Amino acid sequence: MQTEIPPPSAPENRFTTLPVKLLEGRLHPLTLVVGLVSSLRRLIIPAIPILLFGNTFRWGGIGLFIVIIGGTLVSLLLRYLSFSYRIEGQELITREGLIERQERHIPLEKVHEIRIEQNLLHRIFDVVEAVVETAGAEGAEAKLSVLSRAEAERLREAVAARGEAKNLPVDAVETLAKPEREVIRTLGLRDLIWHGLTSNHLLSALAIMGALWAFADDVLPNSIYQQLGKFLKMAAGQMYQQGWRAAVMVALAGLAAVMILGLVVSVVGSVIKFYGFTLSRQGDELFRSYGLITRRASSLPRRRIQVLKIEEGMIRRWFGLVTLRADISGSKKEDEDDNTGRDVLMPVAKASELEHLVSVFFPQLAADPAEWKMVSRLAVQRSMVFAALLLCLAVAVLCFLTRSWLGIGLFLLLPALYWLSVKSYRNFGYALGAEFFRTRSGWLGRESYVVPIEKSQVIVVRQSPFDRWLNLASLQVDTAGQAYTGGSPNISNLPMAEALQVARTLARKASRASANF
Amino acid sequence: MFSFDSGMQDSSSLEANPSSDIVEFQSLDPRIIQVWRIAGLIFCGVVLLISLVGVVIVSLKAPVTRPWIFVGWFLVAALLLWFCLTMPPRRYRNWGYRINDKVLETRSGKMFQVLRLLPLNRLQHVDLQRGPVERMFGLARLQLHTAGTHEATITIPGLAADVATQLRDRLVARGGKDAD
Repeated sequence: MQTEIPPPSAPENRFTTLPVKLLEGRLHPLTLVVGLVSSLRRLIIPAIPILLFGNTFRWGGIGLFIVIIGGTLVSLLLRYLSFSYRIEGQELITREGLIERQERHIPLEKVHEIRIEQNLLHRIFDVVEAVVETAGAEGAEAKLSVLSRAEAERLREAVAARGEAKNLPVDAVETLAKPEREVIRTLGLRDLIWHGLTSNHLLSALAIMGALWAFADDVLPNSIYQQLGKFLKMAAGQMYQQGWRAAVMVALAGLAAVMILGLVVSVVGSVIKFYGFTLSRQGDELFRSYGLITRRASSLPRRRIQVLKIEEGMIRRWFGLVTLRADISGSKKEDEDDNTGRDVLMPVAKASELEHLVSVFFPQLAADPAEWKMVSRLAVQRSMVFAALLLCLAVAVLCFLTRSWLGIGLFLLLPALYWLSVKSYRNFGYALGAEFFRTRSGWLGRESYVVPIEKSQVIVVRQSPFDRWLNLASLQVDTAGQAYTGGSPNISNLPMAEALQVARTLARKASRASANF
Repeated sequence: MFSFDSGMQDSSSLEANPSSDIVEFQSLDPRIIQVWRIAGLIFCGVVLLISLVGVVIVSLKAPVTRPWIFVGWFLVAALLLWFCLTMPPRRYRNWGYRINDKVLETRSGKMFQVLRLLPLNRLQHVDLQRGPVERMFGLARLQLHTAGTHEATITIPGLAADVATQLRDRLVARGGKDAD
């Protein structure tokens, strides 16, 4: 949807007729050095074997490297010389290219997030990379690599100020009183250790072991495997003599070692990723900065939050901890194992602070009390029918396999399952307020969503045959951007009439507010 | 039992805005039944032809199976064809849409019923599409795009071409009033 830009003759809009340059700049000269070093770093690994072992190809290899480095240098030089950016009127304009010129105009009000990243190399030279994100673009809309820190900060402030005060003429922005930046929450080492301990990184521990093995495999001679095999054979022989107790002990010790390794890896990972995490707010703008080796900072206007997810995983809930995730429109994962920490708004916080934190993101929520409503009691019945069917199947299989009636003992699980489903039924619910729609689900691990009703896009009511039998339905509220919150709020087992009424109320309310990403 | 039919007036009474909203669900153009049948038959034809080749090959390799495998194929073919011919009228009966000045609703399905509600100012753009078979019958379908994620697009099939154009113009005029 296009912003209506008044025709140039409109005299009251000074800044569209006379675009005022707010800011103008070029890349930092260190772009050349940083770019060269980082491309050299990429070349080092393939270079080693060629320089050390490849007698026949040594000179050819070196020649190739010189060509590659020369090419990199030329393209860096071209980019450095040709790249410029400026903020003019209501747009951020980037220009690049010497032979083929490209000029990109990004309306400031469409800028959703500005990320400022500083990896180890950038930190050595004290420069940063600024990434401008909008809703539409696949990936970054503009990447300014590299700028001085002060320059990036100036850019960010200019964009934020223009985004917020889009209806003010440009010189008014300069005089606009800048609200104080208020720190909302920092994460200390203790918090991060808790975060690491409660995140399940057993898999990454295994992955690291696998990587180590693969590395060792390259370096170590093959005979090591034969020796290892001999050792294992001997150990197994000894264990056989000492009986099954020893075997169990060894297995338990191995398991414990893997668990401890997993915990250590995840604690170290959490500390490296989120060291010095600070969440702060300046006016409508939220800032996050974190990272031990690569420092990352990002700013996003809180009015752009489409959906907030409060995650209380099984382990975290046990310790009274929560994780907050939020999606803004058009947020996309860069790749599947995005490990930059962008997916969490707040990696870990105490459950007791939840109310305060949520009120920071949605200040109107506190003034929008809504009664939590439960879903139909038939939900319990329904899950029990499924559980009973599954149990019957399991019992039948077990009885058939063991040729005995022992499998019937599985039915003893039924009361426990009933208790579980009652528990989870009690924790299912939704709340429909004047401005917010909230859902919650789960008991062992709990997930809650907060959606500003004006951000809902399409509302879907579904009824499966089983639903129809019980006269129930499920309700889903689709929003823009669900990369990090993992799906939209979806509440099942609502009585049909209630689902319809809620859906229509939501649609009606959403249709009043104008969409505003 | 509740059905999707009721309710637009129910919820409007909650909103103290009762008068303008009571709209009945509209059916699609009945010609869509033929379109769906033809599309279904084409699909069935392709599937059956490919499977027939397989059946012939198997029966040549293993002559013992020959009578049974052909009987099986005929049974499956008959079932598929029956499905292709009888499903479209049922689908037609279950499909409906209605629109007032704020919200568009579509409903579809019998076994798995789905009701979709689209607040009209969430509309990003509207596509009018006509396949060759649809053109033969003078039909068109509308695709309504929102900024949503999983349910971003709502399709209304089987509209008479002029109805589709009118509806599109109405939706475009109504949707996207917002600045962003």
